[in-house]
Amino acid sequence: MLREDFVIQSEIRRILVRSNVDYSKISFGTVKGVVYLRGTFELSRLYVNGSSEGIIEFTKKNLVSLEKKIRSIPGVIDVNFQLVNWKKEKGQWVSK
Amino acid sequence: MRIKMNSIYRRILREIEKEVEVHPNYADLQNQYALLLMADGRMEEAKAHFLEALHLNPKYREANLNLCFLYMEEGRWAEAKEILLSELRRDSKDSFIHHALGILSLQDGKRKEGIVHLQEAIRHNSYYREFYKRKGIWQGGTIQFNQKSLGILKKTHLNYHYAQFHNLIGLFLAKSGRSRQAVAELKRALKLKPDEFIFYANLGTVYYYQGDYPKAIQSFEKAVHLDPSYGMGYANLSFIYGLMSRTKEALQYMKKAVQMNPNYADLHYNLALLYSDRKRYERAILELKKALRINPNYLFARINLGVLYEDQKKWREARREYQKILQITPEDESIRKRLERISS
Repeated sequence: MLREDFVIQSEIRRILVRSNVDYSKISFGTVKGVVYLRGTFELSRLYVNGSSEGIIEFTKKNLVSLEKKIRSIPGVIDVNFQLVNWKKEKGQWVSK
Repeated sequence: MRIKMNSIYRRILREIEKEVEVHPNYADLQNQYALLLMADGRMEEAKAHFLEALHLNPKYREANLNLCFLYMEEGRWAEAKEILLSELRRDSKDSFIHHALGILSLQDGKRKEGIVHLQEAIRHNSYYREFYKRKGIWQGGTIQFNQKSLGILKKTHLNYHYAQFHNLIGLFLAKSGRSRQAVAELKRALKLKPDEFIFYANLGTVYYYQGDYPKAIQSFEKAVHLDPSYGMGYANLSFIYGLMSRTKEALQYMKKAVQMNPNYADLHYNLALLYSDRKRYERAILELKKALRINPNYLFARINLGVLYEDQKKWREARREYQKILQITPEDESIRKRLERISS
């Protein structure tokens, strides 16, 4: 049986608010177990220090971690990222 | 006002100072920084940052009240009074403002005027009757002072400030993942100002971060009890019940949240999910349509709507929604496949 979309949606919300992600720039939805994330993936303004390479690397790690957490939510069939500033190429996240 | 600044408070002060440098146009940061400066006894600097917060957002009630209490600390009654009267002009039934005006008048030696405001505070919010009883000034249905009770009451204006301070520290600690200390700070804030719904809401948020859902529910329920118009409180209750897979309660609270905030597309979307999960498809479609009326580019609402139409074999409607989605995101392969499947 499919897990209820609202339950999945509530779990994603909690994952996002507990992460370093600036979730005001991300919107998300759940359709029959398929999760959609859309917007700009940035870390919150508390994490502004460091070189630009360091920030990109740190952001990438956060993105990988976020994807892993969402995919591990029971009932999630797939995750569809539609990000303005990041894309997946050959299984790797790269900044646009 | 001066709070003993321990190492945590000092660290937070330094971090917020850095943030203010990076984001000088954030009124909330200016207000937070000023609050910490005031706690550190740096009154002139605090005043400048409260004024900057109000310059950025002239309707910023919290910054306005913080500035008022700074003036009260300095015995600048006329300036403090003007701020409170300006807030009262916005809402003449604001019990907290009447309470503050009562204290200010007493501090300023205007006893009769003070009593009138304290009575008004009681009239608009019964919490103050209990509060004044505890302070020994509400006796036998009237306000009465003796030297001791008057002295105690005069100091209560600081409660607001201390409470705001502990609330800010609590929020900051929560953001840094130090939930246990955050809870302790927020409880301090609530002890000083137990009628502040936002402190309960913040406490609820910290418990929500921690995953302590029963305590999060208890805190958000208190928040909405204190301020029944706090629409996002109902939404948060709904999300927490969702995390507990208790969708019956989640539905009740989300309905209330939508009722309080009918123009929030996101809440209509979540209500639609709840209806859809319970197979109440007509209601789900209705809510998705409402979300789309508010925000026609709400992609997920349109995807859910298309899928629901498809499930109900309403091919024409499903095609229409999928085509609109592809206008927004032409690269969405899953939607393209769905469209091809029902078009062939």
